[in-house]
Amino acid sequence: MKKIGVTGGKGGTGKSTVSILLANKLRAKEKKVVLVDCDVECPNDYLLLGQTLEKPKGKVFAQFPKLDKEKCQKCGVCTKNCRSNAVFQPLGQYPIFIHELCSGCGLCWHLCPHQAIKVEKKIIGEIFENKVEDNFWLVTGRSIGVVDETGPIVTKTKDYALKLAKKIKAYYLLSDTSVGMHCGVIRALLGSDLAYAVTEPTPLGAHDLELILRLLKILKIPAKIILNQADLGKKEIVKRLAGETKTKIAHEIPYSNELVKKYSLGKLAEVNIL
Amino acid sequence: MKITIASGKGGVGKSMLASALAMLFAQKQKVVAVDADVDAPNLHLWLGEKEKWDKVEKISVSERAVIDQKKCTSCGRCVDICTFDALSINNSKLIINNYFCEGCGACEVVCPEKAIKMKPIKNAEIRIKKNVYGFPLISAQLYPGETGSGKIVDEIKRKAEEFKSEMMILDSPAGTGCPVIAALNGTDFAVLVTEPTPSGFSDLKRVLTIVEHFKIPYGVVINKYDINLEETKKIEKWALRQARGKLLGKIGYDQRIFQAIAQLKPILETDLPLKKEIQIIYDRLRRRLSL
Repeated sequence: MKKIGVTGGKGGTGKSTVSILLANKLRAKEKKVVLVDCDVECPNDYLLLGQTLEKPKGKVFAQFPKLDKEKCQKCGVCTKNCRSNAVFQPLGQYPIFIHELCSGCGLCWHLCPHQAIKVEKKIIGEIFENKVEDNFWLVTGRSIGVVDETGPIVTKTKDYALKLAKKIKAYYLLSDTSVGMHCGVIRALLGSDLAYAVTEPTPLGAHDLELILRLLKILKIPAKIILNQADLGKKEIVKRLAGETKTKIAHEIPYSNELVKKYSLGKLAEVNIL
Repeated sequence: MKITIASGKGGVGKSMLASALAMLFAQKQKVVAVDADVDAPNLHLWLGEKEKWDKVEKISVSERAVIDQKKCTSCGRCVDICTFDALSINNSKLIINNYFCEGCGACEVVCPEKAIKMKPIKNAEIRIKKNVYGFPLISAQLYPGETGSGKIVDEIKRKAEEFKSEMMILDSPAGTGCPVIAALNGTDFAVLVTEPTPSGFSDLKRVLTIVEHFKIPYGVVINKYDINLEETKKIEKWALRQARGKLLGKIGYDQRIFQAIAQLKPILETDLPLKKEIQIIYDRLRRRLSL
């Protein structure tokens, strides 16, 4: 199985569009493709594919501490050891756990000498599976409500997609990442054999492309560039960067009114890619 | 007062609008601009700045577990407590996956051999620049491969407070995760930018859950409104139905914006029609804020 990441750093450069065009291109060769939307904060691939997210196939949980006041001796061990400053204990009173700051690391309930801290599970994400067309599956991860740490949802979603891909004997696993280069993007890219960095011909696109190429180098993932809306702006900026970093521009997608129009309707125009 | 520009979806025009609003507010008030998109900061480019900063400062916002292999007996207690799957034992050797380590320190506490130490890491740098429009821009860059965006945003907000400005304009990153939450937390008003596409609208509603969680008043701006008038109508109708959410304005799609940014020309320095549209948004925003 070949694992390909689609990323870019900057938002709105066309990661989702390229992911879907790529998936369509690859599946046309009679090879099974699993596309996994790792943008769990704002997943959009399903919208572009005219799918709905109905029954989740998997759930992602986070753990939080919950105090058992009958057992708590107010000894302060939990307060002293928490590195996230998520335990607040007024002098001589019960500790208070602040969910917004808690990383769910489990140290407090592990260390509590009186077993007074229980573990409360809270659902933070869901995983969906759609069979889109022949040889084409979509796996989507989506966070629920206000979730600070979305990285674990990305990892669980990717794990699910990997299992599915193995089960159906898929030939390609495509990971569409979110914007930026934070932990969610890193988790989505880890283990990829190749990554396409989608960018636009502006100083903004080039600025963020340079960062993402540096990240891919650190992660030891070979990179290629896809230049979207290639005929707008200044192409030379991206070309220069490609030369300096010895990264190949694999494909240029020209600006197309039809593509923008269809995209605005939640559809994709047929564009030949790669 | 603090105003955050957010959107959920990337590339819908947050930084473009944030730069223009900061410039407009700066004509009447003491402004500080904050680029909270620490992963991929672009606000300086929209303000016409090349990367010549007045001040650059490396910061450390988190720690990471470091193993002393000489002391480690591979007992596995750290592996059991780590809820982030950052530790594993391979061929009786303890291995750490740095990308998964959240720096919680649980492993350090449970290790009976004192073989794990938490060490601070340099995750980012903070950059400050006073621009030609007379106000400072506080920006930060998360180093590639590092984590902790949310805490970096907290840090640059603290830095920005030091300028004691009347108006702080925060340019939020895309998404709804920790840096977005950090940017929105404690803001007085949120400007939510969207575009008339199913993705833009869906992501607008997703970021709104964060805005509503913090009970922040907000207004909506539809960028590139004319690429799909029907979807624009849908968003306008929806915005009207929201009790506190009123439409602040619309901005038309203009390909020439690509040329402007290619030359690092701030929007307000061009003759493009969207200049007027942004002025209207700014005027409405001032009224909403009773300024």
